[in-house]
Amino acid sequence: MRNTDREFSLIPQNQRVRPSGRLWNPSADVYRSNDGWIVKVDLAGVCSDDLEIVINNADMTIRGCRRDTHYREGFTYHQMEITYSRFEKTIQFPAPIEGASIVHNYDDGFLIVKVITG
Amino acid sequence: MAEDKTEPATTSDTTQPTDVQPAPSAAPFEIAVLALQNLTLFPETVVPLGVGRPRSIAAVEAALSTPEKLLACITVIPDKTSDGDASAQHLFTVGTLVMIKRMERLPEGMRIVAQGTERIKVIEWKQEDPYLRAVVQVLPEPQVVDPEPVEAAKRNLQDMIQRALALLPSVPPEVRVAVMGSVEPIRLAYFLGSILNLGVEEEQKMLEADTADELLRLAHSSMAREIEILELRSKIAVEAQSEMDKAQRDYVLRQQMKAIQKELGDDEGGEAAEAALLRERLEKADLPDEVRVEAERELKRLERLPAAAPDYHVIRTYLEFVLELPWKKSSEDKLDLAEAQRILDEDHYGLEDVKERILEFLAVIKLRPDTKSPILCFVGPPGVGKTSLGRSIARSLGRQFERMSLGGVRDEAELRGHRRTYIGAMPGRIIQAFRRAGVNNPVMMLDEIDKLGNDYRGDPAAALLEILDPQQNSTFRDHYLDLPFDLSKVFFIATANQLGPIPAPLRDRMEVIRLAGYSDREKLEIARRYLIPRQTTENGLNNAQLKIENDAVELIAGRYTREAGVRQLERNIGSVARKVAFKIAQAQAESVTVNAADIPEYLGPPVFYPEQARKELPAGVATGMAWTEMGGEVLFIEATLLPGGRGLTITGQLGEVMQESARAAQSYLWSHAAEFGINPNMFRDYGVHLHVPAGAIPKDGPSAGVTITSALASLYTGRRVRPDTAMTGEITLSGLVFPIGGVKEKVLAAHRAGIRRVLIPSRNEADVEDIPEDVRKDLQLVFVSRISEVIDSALEVLVANPPPPLVHPEHPGARASEEPEPIVVQGLTKP
Repeated sequence: MRNTDREFSLIPQNQRVRPSGRLWNPSADVYRSNDGWIVKVDLAGVCSDDLEIVINNADMTIRGCRRDTHYREGFTYHQMEITYSRFEKTIQFPAPIEGASIVHNYDDGFLIVKVITG
Repeated sequence: MAEDKTEPATTSDTTQPTDVQPAPSAAPFEIAVLALQNLTLFPETVVPLGVGRPRSIAAVEAALSTPEKLLACITVIPDKTSDGDASAQHLFTVGTLVMIKRMERLPEGMRIVAQGTERIKVIEWKQEDPYLRAVVQVLPEPQVVDPEPVEAAKRNLQDMIQRALALLPSVPPEVRVAVMGSVEPIRLAYFLGSILNLGVEEEQKMLEADTADELLRLAHSSMAREIEILELRSKIAVEAQSEMDKAQRDYVLRQQMKAIQKELGDDEGGEAAEAALLRERLEKADLPDEVRVEAERELKRLERLPAAAPDYHVIRTYLEFVLELPWKKSSEDKLDLAEAQRILDEDHYGLEDVKERILEFLAVIKLRPDTKSPILCFVGPPGVGKTSLGRSIARSLGRQFERMSLGGVRDEAELRGHRRTYIGAMPGRIIQAFRRAGVNNPVMMLDEIDKLGNDYRGDPAAALLEILDPQQNSTFRDHYLDLPFDLSKVFFIATANQLGPIPAPLRDRMEVIRLAGYSDREKLEIARRYLIPRQTTENGLNNAQLKIENDAVELIAGRYTREAGVRQLERNIGSVARKVAFKIAQAQAESVTVNAADIPEYLGPPVFYPEQARKELPAGVATGMAWTEMGGEVLFIEATLLPGGRGLTITGQLGEVMQESARAAQSYLWSHAAEFGINPNMFRDYGVHLHVPAGAIPKDGPSAGVTITSALASLYTGRRVRPDTAMTGEITLSGLVFPIGGVKEKVLAAHRAGIRRVLIPSRNEADVEDIPEDVRKDLQLVFVSRISEVIDSALEVLVANPPPPLVHPEHPGARASEEPEPIVVQGLTKP
């Protein structure tokens, strides 16, 4: 919360302001497997309908929107730390992956994307 | 915590799938609105917000109830900021769509972390309570119209950011990295908008900018202003720093200097050492209480001052002066009367009454040590030994001698000093003399006190009044010292050539001792005892080589000098001695004896022909005596009858007083004509011319009255004045003879002129004591108290030159009405 004394505070008061993307970026681990790549994304609570995986040459972009589906009429929030709304994550691979078969499923809350290059 | 996205985010609008609702769609949607006070939230920035007002909390809670936690943040127009809840019309219409990333409850409300996403514009307000709600539409991201100025502005901005960061050492490194990493111009501008304190209006303008060009232009000008402020601030800081650095440097250098001085064994240099030294001296010094208190106070001031302070040296000099003064130190008086007498006699011949006065004073001091010293004033012609007498008084008393010449001193400050506020202020001469003397009871000679100046700068004589007043001078205050100094132990001796110019109040404070001139005999003695031996040695001769006979000295004194003192006499003896030295050095002689006949060879022909008593005086001429600064003189007063003339003509540069004497004399004779056997018609038929040579020298004073009367009486009666008789005295119209001054000089002059009979007023009889015995022996002194006695004593009985016949003898009364008396003196009635 910024307040009134603007004249003399030349150093930004709010040092927690950070540049950010329009969206948030979930964290991801990438494994090399025998037949391709396995990408594990820290992305729980996103329904498949809201998820989109796009391949472009050697880049794979995972994006979508996390929506709060547990909120009910009459609830009030006491605390909120989970980030909702749109996210986007781009992973660069060392080699093009176009044409690879992509499979994704949820495993204990992680989104697992298998990229099988064969 | 938010990672920086390296990918350009431009994909968002175009590649956003339609099912990700509702954000990127151009379709309006309804949303809760949070009013922001004094804050603008930009897209692409994460800002923590405190939420406290019920309506704001309701808005946030409404946003949290949506699946995507979206909220519209719109700033309150600055003028409309109020304590109460802001209503819809108090808000701008353009705001930012934010996503609430975090929320936590606090006792006084909640805190949220909001991330700006897109710009929105309010289309329609839906409700105000319990929270603001509006239909909004997402505005497109600002588009680049002209890429080149945008790029230029971006680079400039980055440049300025570099400069700003250099000026802001306290910015954390991650912010630096983040700032420098943003390459995308719009994000950069929004970021700057959020971190700089631009004010709501500016920030709102940036938010509402529809093109990248406009946005960057705004960001650029804001940043430029910010840089200017930062630079100014840093300049101020640097200046303050450098100021401090200089003081620090001085300090270090001074410390080093102190160390060097210590190394050189010159401990006094340090200011602390100096102050300590002064303190030590102050503690040891024997000072009166009042002085000590003042000195302590000044020393305390000194200790607090740095040596560089201008006052430092002023105070130090002052303290040193105070400590050097002999506040209580006196010299012991030699109280041996016989010894004092011996010293006085050794230094000066004659001057008996002065010596006697000194011995009296010594005697009093012996009986009562705390006696106040007398203040003497020696008055006499130049060269009679006033100054050297002072010196020998000091010697005979065993005191320090300090002499100061007051001739030409015009400024009171020279005597009493300047106040310390003036630059270069100094104590006055009196106090400085004490420092030189080192004791507080010196013999202090104030030379030439009659030649004090006096003008608009102040009257030094007035300062002397205090100095010479025994009642006041025990607390004499010099302006510089501003402390009372005791002058009462000082033996003051003033000298003067004349009493006249000395202001009466000053004269009154001193005991005047007249040093008249020396007689020929005294001069001879002085020459033999002091002058010849001194000049002999000064010219490299010894007693055997030069002998000057008495007749030679008498000749020099009488014909080569005309003075009351012996200065010219000494100079002439010196000339003789030099010429003798020349002869001896050339081996023309081994020793020389000089007698009167040799003198013209050494000194040339005689310079002076003193007035000598005339063998015979014609009727109407009388011998008078006058006092001059150089001693006494003999003068002749001449009168002649002018047949058919009128009144009294007076010539010879006579002053008012003397002219009046002449009129009084004539009137007296006229009124007592019968008594003296004068035909009263003489006054009617004859004018008189009275002349006193030498005509070029101004003369004045009443003491010629007797002489004028004698001359006129001689003229009218035809009886000559005795040529061996000189006379002096003031007359009154009633025929009395009043006393006059300078008897000794006058008598000596008469004696020099060869006169052997002198008429002086009988009330001057006491002064005869002053006349040297040898002179008195030669003279016949006649004391007179009435004019008739004068005429009896001065005029020959025989009528040698009978007066001429009357012009109108047959009708004595016929012309009475026409008989003018041209000179009418007040109080005189016509006969």
